[in-house]
Amino acid sequence: MPKPGKYNNPPWKKQFNNEHDSRGNEFNNHRRGTGLHTNGHFKPAKKNWNPHWGNALRAHLDDEDIDMGVSNFERQKKPIRGNKRHGTSGGRGRRKLLESPTNWFRVTLPYGNKYDKAFVLRSLLEHVTPIPFAPVAWSTDGNFATFYVDDYKLADKLNSLDRQIDCPDGFKLAIRVHSGSPNVDITDSLKAKLKAAMANRYDLANKALDLTKFHADPQLQDVFCALFKPIMLLTVIDIMSENIPELVALNLNENRIQVLNHLKKIDKKLPNLKILHLGNNKIREMTMLDPLSGLPIVEVVLDGNPLCTKFREREAYISEVRKRFPKVIKLDGIDLPPPIGFDIAEEVRLPPSVQTYLCNAEAQGIVRQFLEQYFQVFDSGSRQPLLQAYHEDAKFSMTSAYPYGQNPKNSSWLNWYNTDSRNILRVQDHDRRLKLLKQGNLAVVSFLSEMPQSKHDIHSFTVDLNISTPQLLLLNVSGMFRELRSGHKTAPIRHFFRSLVIVPAGSGFCIANEQLHVSNATEQQAKLAFKTPIIQTPQPAPELNAAPPAAAIPPVVPMVDDNTKQQMIQTMSQQSGMNLEWSQKCLEETNWDFNRAAFIFTELQKQGTIPAEAFVK
Amino acid sequence: MDQKAKIDQSCRTAEEFTKLYYESTDKRRHLISKLYLDNGLLTWNGNGITGNDRIQKFYMELPSTDHIITTLDAQPILDNAVNGQLSFLIQVSGTVKYQDKVPKSFQESFVITAQNDKWKIVSDCFRLQEPLNTEKN
Repeated sequence: MPKPGKYNNPPWKKQFNNEHDSRGNEFNNHRRGTGLHTNGHFKPAKKNWNPHWGNALRAHLDDEDIDMGVSNFERQKKPIRGNKRHGTSGGRGRRKLLESPTNWFRVTLPYGNKYDKAFVLRSLLEHVTPIPFAPVAWSTDGNFATFYVDDYKLADKLNSLDRQIDCPDGFKLAIRVHSGSPNVDITDSLKAKLKAAMANRYDLANKALDLTKFHADPQLQDVFCALFKPIMLLTVIDIMSENIPELVALNLNENRIQVLNHLKKIDKKLPNLKILHLGNNKIREMTMLDPLSGLPIVEVVLDGNPLCTKFREREAYISEVRKRFPKVIKLDGIDLPPPIGFDIAEEVRLPPSVQTYLCNAEAQGIVRQFLEQYFQVFDSGSRQPLLQAYHEDAKFSMTSAYPYGQNPKNSSWLNWYNTDSRNILRVQDHDRRLKLLKQGNLAVVSFLSEMPQSKHDIHSFTVDLNISTPQLLLLNVSGMFRELRSGHKTAPIRHFFRSLVIVPAGSGFCIANEQLHVSNATEQQAKLAFKTPIIQTPQPAPELNAAPPAAAIPPVVPMVDDNTKQQMIQTMSQQSGMNLEWSQKCLEETNWDFNRAAFIFTELQKQGTIPAEAFVK
Repeated sequence: MDQKAKIDQSCRTAEEFTKLYYESTDKRRHLISKLYLDNGLLTWNGNGITGNDRIQKFYMELPSTDHIITTLDAQPILDNAVNGQLSFLIQVSGTVKYQDKVPKSFQESFVITAQNDKWKIVSDCFRLQEPLNTEKN
């Protein structure tokens, strides 16, 4: 925020908004940093600032001699410029240009915009040769023209050219050079450009992104994208996180990076990053790498950073690196002896989760049908028909709790559920426990009918069929549902876990016991809720969905033997992307006419009428 | 036994059982298989493990755990379904920490049955509350 001060709201501020100068600055070097802030010049960038690295950036800026020495004074004196002020000894006495930590310099031509840009650039180019001349972020304001260079030799040469170049109108071209880098305003168009340039530098096969000297990328010459700017590095990391979170290797060599404090969350954004090259940057202390220490780094390059000179002994250097990255086996391109650790401390990975477990594969049809029918009615708006789904002596109880990290203050209230939560850790009273256990299908369905309206995301379901005997099925189902019309501003996404004891009843099945647990979906879960990649339609195509699987099988045509059928199913599944079961259905319904089945599939797929479940493998 | 007494018993048993179960899992894991029927079934995030020997082995390979139970619920299973064999359906929710990492929410459902004078797990279904198909821990 702008602090009140001497340089606040100078009268020329509006007019020369791009110039963060004030007359005093020229004579008052140590105030320059402050002058910058008070002028509010960085405001556009500020909205992107993160307080964590606000300080770091400020320190950064204080390092740089940012002010540009084009004063209002000079403007006012325009008619007599070169006479009074710069008249003696060829100008105001050239300051020696100091090297800057970032190596970026701002070059201001106070009258540069009076002349043709091409002329100015050509003249400069001619005079600086053989030093390569690569101006960045050319901008104009009034008569001013400004650009940036990132080479001290070039900057020093330009500094020495002040009033040495003849202009068409007889004046000598004034050139001011100071340490400084362009401001960064992250816009969508800038992000798009960065993304395109990054895509070109990405090696898909190795999951490696090479951002060496990113600011010099030929694709990005019209923008300023130096990664030593925290906001720029952060933006680039975010682009990686969004587009290539699987990134394994990142090369950030030669980007003049100084501070990394703002990368504290990088281990969440790029959890697989194992190879990191930070060579030839400006990192001064090993501790500056601390924010990266959560990464599973096995290979790191730090060579060419000031921090390297702080270690006399290589062993100490390696040891400090390993403190941050314990798994490092390659440092600065040299293999390290593997670290000696303890067997028992090795990290044990959890087994991967599996969506469905069926103790009896043959029960799959029954389970699927049961769940589809149950949740169709449950979400239909009237739950009365569920009376048939429960045994007349059925028992039902519910518990609810917030998931880890959530509470009533930071998430959707679970009050409705908590009121009737039969959590026997809390509910000690026997009568209350009894009352909260709903007994008999009437009591159960009457309770279910009172529950908030819902829409279940059947693709989010996990299904565990743990017991399957002629007497009972034990089914555990978890997943997400959206709660509808319950007075929340946005319909909450809930997570549920149901345990069902299902018993045969007549020709079908009914629920004998049920326990329901309701929670909120975690943030990560909610992101995936109702996000199946396939287009869903409320009314699937009649050809494929006319009847439940068991009833849909027409009499088998004897001409095709089972072996051939299996092959056809496999081929159909491969070509259509549907799972085996739906491929089979599709073939059965066309009497094993493969071409016809393929044709129907294509037609239905075009209409988008094939239900998503057909593609779940 | 009348219904009310059975319901009371299911609650009491569930309290004792879960206390013992999670203490064993967290601190005396080598004894965990004693809680299961010989042919008991554990499904751990969709991975089915049958038989208490295999369940024992599975637990020994799991990272160290620290469970905190948030909710507990229990009810007797309908007699017809279990041929009159006294059995309870128990549901637990809570948080679990693996090797001192950030806790995760979980839900777990048990069917326990009385075998002679011991309660044994017939079925144990454990699910972490997290998105499907995530490789990250």
